[in-house]
Amino acid sequence: MELRRPPDAQHAVAALGNGSLALAGGTDLVPLLRDGIVRADTLVHLADAVPRGIDGTRIGAGTTLAELEVDPQVPAALREACAQAASPQLRSMGTIGGNLRQATRCWYWRLRFPCWLHGGEVCHAKAGQHREHAIFGNERCASAHPSDPAAALLALGARVRTDRRELSVAELYRLPTDESRDVVVLAPDELVLELDVPLPDASVYLKAMDRKKWAFPLVGVAAARFGDRVAFGLAGVAPIPWAVDSADDLDRATPLPGTAYKVQIARALIARAFSAL
Amino acid sequence: MLELTINGGVHTLDLPVDRPLAYVLREDLGLTGTKIACGEGHCGACTVLLDGIPTLSCITLAHTVGEREVTTIEGLREHPLVDAFVRTDALQCGFCTPGQIVSASALVAANPSPTRDEVRHAMAGNLCRCGAYPKIEEAILTWRD
Ligand SMILES: Cc1cc2nc3c(=O)[nH]c(=O)nc-3n(C[C@H](O)[C@H](O)[C@H](O)COP(=O)(O)OP(=O)(O)OC[C@H]3O[C@@H](n4cnc5c(N)ncnc54)[C@H](O)[C@@H]3O)c2cc1C
Ligand code: SF4
Ligand code: FES
Ligand code: FES
Repeated sequence: MELRRPPDAQHAVAALGNGSLALAGGTDLVPLLRDGIVRADTLVHLADAVPRGIDGTRIGAGTTLAELEVDPQVPAALREACAQAASPQLRSMGTIGGNLRQATRCWYWRLRFPCWLHGGEVCHAKAGQHREHAIFGNERCASAHPSDPAAALLALGARVRTDRRELSVAELYRLPTDESRDVVVLAPDELVLELDVPLPDASVYLKAMDRKKWAFPLVGVAAARFGDRVAFGLAGVAPIPWAVDSADDLDRATPLPGTAYKVQIARALIARAFSAL
Repeated sequence: MLELTINGGVHTLDLPVDRPLAYVLREDLGLTGTKIACGEGHCGACTVLLDGIPTLSCITLAHTVGEREVTTIEGLREHPLVDAFVRTDALQCGFCTPGQIVSASALVAANPSPTRDEVRHAMAGNLCRCGAYPKIEEAILTWRD
């Protein structure tokens, strides 16, 4: 394996694809490489290629979660989502760009079961263990998107700038299909460079987890108020970050036997988030 | 060839790209104070400082360390936290202790009088299977005594 450290985004994009993968903090990618879940001939280290830092509403994709968690310019929902994500060490290492593209934590997938998301025929989680899994969008793959910050960015209506286009966080994600079993619309050599995060009148992030700190979201609820409109973004409930308009949307959830409890948690957190605004 | 600055000394090494820093420290340099437990970012046993920031060496590729200075538990021998952990009996098996002290050293450098909540927030990434948490907290809260 080779490691490159291109001086800017243009060189990094040129070096990507064809067996080359982007490496930011490495907190997700390094374990996946070690376990042989993803393969690369070349790692393209983004340290000099992707902007880092916060300037008003603009956030460089190379900014760490630890930097976001303490910056007063950052809306509360995103700060709180970062502060409750992972552990202090991981937040100092992990970037927001990498966080948005992190892979599923479904154990079948991580243990290399030949499941649907890996290109196989069936979702092992549905017939097997799926307590951590989805209540929406789970027809094919029942995995639950693990990103807290992505749910916050969704509620905040954030926009993403890549090396070739601009799109909303809502447009960045899409449910995997038979043709393309990826959860983002980005091309393999496309880099996230910057986020633009509108300032709401108020926002909050609430997270239910198996212990008080340092766990993936069972359900995460971000809420943001712009004038009299409130938007919600949910983590841990669908294969991608999931937007809802109100708790009523939970009536349309399609929980598995083992995830029905998440509907109740989501309902409670949405009500709490709403009253916190 | 790769140059790493570790505890003030410079080491020149020939390493494959996929070699994590923790293995370099332990196996190539004999700095076995840094522990590897989970090896995948979950437990904090392998915590070292990179330019003062607690970092998981088991999932940090040595080639990405660059100019940043590595501090391991061996570089913190004289730190008052070491005595504080002994005085408060803040360990049982001791396997998590190097990582705990490394994380705590960064906390007290930034915030010499942390509150209990601040200790809990900053130390959340260091798991202790023996459950020595109450005494680890006490060691950090009283580190200068
Ligand atoms: C044990 C553990 C617990 C965790 N708990 C949580 C949690 O509770 N909540 C949560 O939200 N997250 C959690 N995480 C995820 C963690 O926050 C992410 O792994 C981290 O933010 C990823 O950032 P990175 O810079 O390390 O990315 P890397 O590991 O370097 O990269 C991850 C992926 O993103 C791609 N990538 C990186 N940067 C870019 C870019 N700029 N443009 C395009 N693609 C890019 C890489 O190619 C790779 O595919 C946890 C992770 C671990 C290991
Ligand atoms: S939930 Fe998705 S990742 Fe997990 S086994 Fe089913 S198809 Fe695979
Ligand atoms: S050994 Fe590195 S986090 Fe567990
Ligand atoms: S003292 Fe044994 S793991 Fe912490």
